[in-house]
Amino acid sequence: MTEAFILIPVVLPIVAGLLLEFIRKLNKKTMNLCVVAVLAIEAVLVFMNMGKIGAEVELFELTDNLPIYFKIDNLGIMFAILMVVIWLLAGIFSFEYMKHEDNERRYQGFYLMVLGVLIGLDFAGNLVTFYMFYEMMTITAFPLVIHTGKKEATMAGLKYLYYSLGGAYFALFGFYFVFKYADSLTFTPGGVGINAGSHETLLLICALFMIIGFGVKAGMFPLHAWLTSAHPVAPAPASAVLSGIIVKTGILGTIRVIYYIFGTKFIRGTFVQTVWMSLALLTVLMGSTMAYKEKLLKKRLAYSTVSQISYIMFGLSLLNETAFEGSLLHVLMHGFTKCGLFLAAGAIIYKTGKTKVDELRGIGKEMPIVIWCFTILSITLIGIPPTGGLVSKWYLCMGALKSGIAVFDILGPVILIVSALLTAGYLLPITIQGFFPGDDYDYSGLEHKEPAKTMTIPLIVLTAGAIGVGLFSTPIITYIETILATF
Amino acid sequence: MDFICNFPFFSIMISMFSGIVSAVLSRKAAKWLNLISIWVIWFLSAVLLYYIFGTGEIIVYKMGHFPAPWGNEIRAGLLEAGLALFFCSIMLLSMTGGRKKLMGEVVEEKHNLYYILVDLMLASLLALIYTNDLFTAYVFVEINTISACGLIMIRQNGRTIEAAVRYMIMSLLGSGLLLMGICMLYDITGHLLMSNIRDAVSSIYSAGTYPVPLTVTIILLTCGLAMKSALFPFHTWVADAYGYSTVSSAAILSSLVSKGYIILLIKIIYRVIGFEVYRASHIIDVVFVFGLAGMIMGSISAIRENDIRRMIAYSSVAQIGYIYMGIGLGTRYAMIASIFHILSHAATKSMLFIGAIGLTDVSKGSRHFEELTGSGYRHKIAGITFAVGSLSMVGIPLFSGFISKLLFAQAAVLNTRKMLPALIVLAISTILNAIYFMKTVIRIYTPTEEEGERITMKQEKVYALTCICFIALNIFIGMCSQPIVDWIGAGIDMFA
Amino acid sequence: MNSYVLLIAIFLPILGGILTGVIPFKGRTTRNIFVETVVIITSIIMWAIILNKPQDSIEVLKFTGDLVFAFKMDGLGMIFAGLISSLWPLATLYSFEYMEKEEREGSFFMFYTITYGVTLGISLSGNLMTMYLFYEMLTIVTVPLVLHTLTREAILASRTYLYYSLGGAAFGFIGFIFVLVYGTSLDFVYGGVLDPGKIGDRGNVLLLIYVLAFLGFGVKAAICPFNKWLPQAGVAPTPVTALLHAVAVVKSGAFAIMRITYYSFGPDFLRGTWAQYTVMAIAIFTIIYGSARALKETHFKRRLAYSTIGNLSYILFGVTIMTPLGLFGALCHMVFHAVMKIASFFCAGAVISKTERTYVFELNGLGKHMPMTFGIFTISGLALMGVPGLCGFVSKWYLAEAAVASENVLAYVGIGALLISAILTAVYTMTISVRAFFPGKDFDDSVNSGVKEAGVRMLLPLCIFAVCIIVFGVYSKPLTDLLLSVAMGGM
Repeated sequence: MTEAFILIPVVLPIVAGLLLEFIRKLNKKTMNLCVVAVLAIEAVLVFMNMGKIGAEVELFELTDNLPIYFKIDNLGIMFAILMVVIWLLAGIFSFEYMKHEDNERRYQGFYLMVLGVLIGLDFAGNLVTFYMFYEMMTITAFPLVIHTGKKEATMAGLKYLYYSLGGAYFALFGFYFVFKYADSLTFTPGGVGINAGSHETLLLICALFMIIGFGVKAGMFPLHAWLTSAHPVAPAPASAVLSGIIVKTGILGTIRVIYYIFGTKFIRGTFVQTVWMSLALLTVLMGSTMAYKEKLLKKRLAYSTVSQISYIMFGLSLLNETAFEGSLLHVLMHGFTKCGLFLAAGAIIYKTGKTKVDELRGIGKEMPIVIWCFTILSITLIGIPPTGGLVSKWYLCMGALKSGIAVFDILGPVILIVSALLTAGYLLPITIQGFFPGDDYDYSGLEHKEPAKTMTIPLIVLTAGAIGVGLFSTPIITYIETILATF
Repeated sequence: MDFICNFPFFSIMISMFSGIVSAVLSRKAAKWLNLISIWVIWFLSAVLLYYIFGTGEIIVYKMGHFPAPWGNEIRAGLLEAGLALFFCSIMLLSMTGGRKKLMGEVVEEKHNLYYILVDLMLASLLALIYTNDLFTAYVFVEINTISACGLIMIRQNGRTIEAAVRYMIMSLLGSGLLLMGICMLYDITGHLLMSNIRDAVSSIYSAGTYPVPLTVTIILLTCGLAMKSALFPFHTWVADAYGYSTVSSAAILSSLVSKGYIILLIKIIYRVIGFEVYRASHIIDVVFVFGLAGMIMGSISAIRENDIRRMIAYSSVAQIGYIYMGIGLGTRYAMIASIFHILSHAATKSMLFIGAIGLTDVSKGSRHFEELTGSGYRHKIAGITFAVGSLSMVGIPLFSGFISKLLFAQAAVLNTRKMLPALIVLAISTILNAIYFMKTVIRIYTPTEEEGERITMKQEKVYALTCICFIALNIFIGMCSQPIVDWIGAGIDMFA
Repeated sequence: MNSYVLLIAIFLPILGGILTGVIPFKGRTTRNIFVETVVIITSIIMWAIILNKPQDSIEVLKFTGDLVFAFKMDGLGMIFAGLISSLWPLATLYSFEYMEKEEREGSFFMFYTITYGVTLGISLSGNLMTMYLFYEMLTIVTVPLVLHTLTREAILASRTYLYYSLGGAAFGFIGFIFVLVYGTSLDFVYGGVLDPGKIGDRGNVLLLIYVLAFLGFGVKAAICPFNKWLPQAGVAPTPVTALLHAVAVVKSGAFAIMRITYYSFGPDFLRGTWAQYTVMAIAIFTIIYGSARALKETHFKRRLAYSTIGNLSYILFGVTIMTPLGLFGALCHMVFHAVMKIASFFCAGAVISKTERTYVFELNGLGKHMPMTFGIFTISGLALMGVPGLCGFVSKWYLAEAAVASENVLAYVGIGALLISAILTAVYTMTISVRAFFPGKDFDDSVNSGVKEAGVRMLLPLCIFAVCIIVFGVYSKPLTDLLLSVAMGGM
């Protein structure tokens, strides 16, 4: 029974969020304090769960043979810690930011609920639980997307909803067949036994569907269109967590399905792997190219997410250890980086109202801290040494070369590098223009617009975190190797 | 008992004499005479039926004690007696139900003429049922035609005269063909008594002599009677005739007259040509096809009608199609189904006409659908009668129409070649029936703002009683059909 | 328990209904109390019967030689009867409030209550003859309900309904005849009653007849292309569309198809034949068609009607898999969908009743004024979509499980159709919820001033349904065990 305590991090934010929705008369300061308190407690609880690796809880059976089952393993804890830290920081940021939106209470309520659902997702021990929380996540995150109430926000929100649900249903198709042909639905490192018999092609198709289904959330081509509509229209802190964290659930889903259900042996060398790799690389290139051409700042960052997540997908699709390490490292790194970038963009919008990249000349002089952080984060993302971005890309390229798969072992690294160049192309000019606007700039119009500390401190912490991931990449890789060891 | 053997003869004679006598009677006396004679015949038929049922023998009555094959014969079996009884019942109910209307529609001087015609009609029907002689049958067919024509025309407005003329033309054409057939048959076989003819025909058939004349005879006989009983495509006179004549006339015409000819046809098939020979001639297939066509075309024409009585008249065409389809299926079971449907249809069609009268009465006498809206509320019993009739037509279980459908379908299933067309057309016909009957039922039960005349049961007791009898009859046939089917089966076996 | 009780359960509401129309009540409340009492007593009797499980059949009337009116409660009938008798009292309660605004309540409640008895008659029929009789009667007694508002649309809708239903029954009749001729009896026996000796080599003909009968009875279950009547019938008052056209009438069609497939023709005879592929294809097509048309439809109740068309074909898809698991999935969805759809329709009805707004685009911002109504609507929408934790997921799960187990390629396509329908369902339900709760920044709420939440008599049934949806979503085992045992042929 004491094992049930691992579920408190799941339940607490959901309950807190619900209470927040229904208790109407709450003063803003009190509300913010409550939110921060919940987030902090949450972080502590998750860290405590680190010590409880291996604990499992079965709640009840949804229907015959479909138990709702939680288990804490290395992979789950890693994701959970990432999520909870980012959530806390973005949450603090939002107190100031949301002052210029309405309905803060509704926002914070759903913000908390989504966290609880995500933790539940991380701790899910079998496919059923994972799927259930996946659907819940789509639904609870929806109000965050459409929060501003503008027409384009509503349209983007609905697009998000339908694409996400569609992706979930693709995965569900595969799920139905896995239920029948697999030994169990529980996530077992290395995969559960699949009794394909004569239905091997059928099951491979199912695996592909599940990859595409989860890939929707991860913004993989061809079902990525929602991401670039939804992430920009949400309020900045929401965009941050959408791009930084929620897309990672697609990654988590893919890892769980391929590495913990089907098992890499089942997929390796089949058409599934080929299709997967192709789609991932295609998205990498496409995302970077679109980002390069995009003029709206938040949308540019959204395309960047599309591209970066497919780095991770590519790494996973190679099905070897080095690439896996690169992917997971990239998960952490991208989480911190993209979140920070979005928060910076949010700060810019909050203080100046400017949304387009061309308008940002000279902004570095107005908001130095913000733009410095932006710069450091950009460099990390591009992968210029000695930042963490390089390490993860290095492992990915190494993994590709080692994999021995025809064509892709060269093509992969090439595209990754091209994309890195493009990344530089779409991120650095902002910094450069920001600090060095050029001679024809009207310097007299500059004002000091640094935002409040509640906005800048999280930003700085995130930047530090991004650098930290790079510096401490070796211990992190070691940790990831413990995950791999279980396979 | 010997005395009972006279009953068939008595039935025919009583009816005929009342007709003749009514010529000199006053209107009221004629009416009472008519009523009494029908009741008497009803009783006679009931006793006869009971007797034959008890003894299981066929009564053969030689007219004038001349032995066959020179004399004339009357033959009564289970089927004939029962049919006579049934027809009397229907005639009774139709006359009673439509009597009030009759008063209004027909000119006073003509009333006793009307009763004469009805008596003659009944006489000829009974004769057709009972006779065993082909030529006598023909004579009474002609008497029937004339009295039917008179019944149509009795209202004496332009429409009815035109309808009567049309009817005459078609009918006499049919009679002509019938006569030719009879003559040819006499030529080949040398007999006029039905049983004798049958023996002769079967020997001709097995010997293989006269194949062509035999076939032609069969064709002529069938066509002639088909024309007279309004099988498609010889049905165009029906709508006018039933639509514009008086109510009782319409009821009697549609229920009894056409059925008389069909019964004669069945008699000819069994007792003159012989069932096997008839089947071998493939005329039966043609009959089947036309029966199917009638089922569909009759209903389609009914859908297009805007006048309630013409609609019911076209419905008759469809129902006659059912009966011919049954004959066309060519099995004993199918024949039982057809005869059952004769009974069922007779009961239902009269009911519909009587019900329609009540509805038109409360709609300012108009028969068009716009004015009939809501009439079900204004004249409750008429509405219920019409509704029950419609449900029976559509084939809802509990009513007689369902049993007919059931019997036809079962018969069809047992016949491999003709099964699918029969079943599909049966289903389509149900749908078509549903369309026009149910539409009308909805219409008469759609309340309207307008206040029309209202008639309650108390005001028209006799009418209400008639309606209730009809409904009871329909439900009785619908629910207790097994004895009836058994009786028909036994009757057919005796028939041959 | 003596089987005579079955007769009481069936004929009490029929009688009570007739009395409702005939007795001149002093006031609306008196009539309502009378009606609700009759309905509740019948439901109690029905539940007592279900719990006591009388085994024998009771023969009421011998029609002709082989045709007998008999009633019997077996597993399948028990499920359907249990479902109907649970929903009817709640629906009646709801309709009291709704019908206050309409006229001629007397005749309405008369036919409404009679329909209850007739539907129970269908579920408790012991053989094909009895079921056919009550099936036709169901059409007849529901026509006045569709006709009720007496507008031009209502008259046309009732005609369409009548023609389609009677026409469908006419084709169903052909199937009935064939079972009569080629089967050992007309009784409902699990596994079918066809006599292989009698069939001989006419197997193909029988398959054709089965397809015709499927299409015929399927008219009431709104399969393509015979579903035109259902959206048109949306013109009737909401209690009619909700209970009858989402639950009683259409489920009777599905029930009839279950009977002829599993209890008359028999799944072993049909499985693997071209007949099975045909009917499965029809069901799959209807699933997509219904959901797609719902998307295009902007009239609120008609949208839900198209949704019903799609969902009914989920049930039929389960039936056409022709295995016990398939029947099981179908039964689950029959029960769960009834609850979900009746909740949706009642929400729609509450909205129409309180605001007179019938089109989806008029619903902006109403979530604030009618939070419970739209909240429950959202729950039912999520359930229809198949979100885990609500009952829709469970029934879809079992349908898919049956399809996967059948190893029939067309069934796999069917699973795809189910999921495509799920996303379409998401679109057409969520747009309504989003409009209601998130009307957008520029929305001027003054158009909604004066809109009040629905009254208790409407909300109480709604809440009960919502609770059921959630409870069955997480704890359905006792019910599903029962359904599974019925599907396997047990009592």
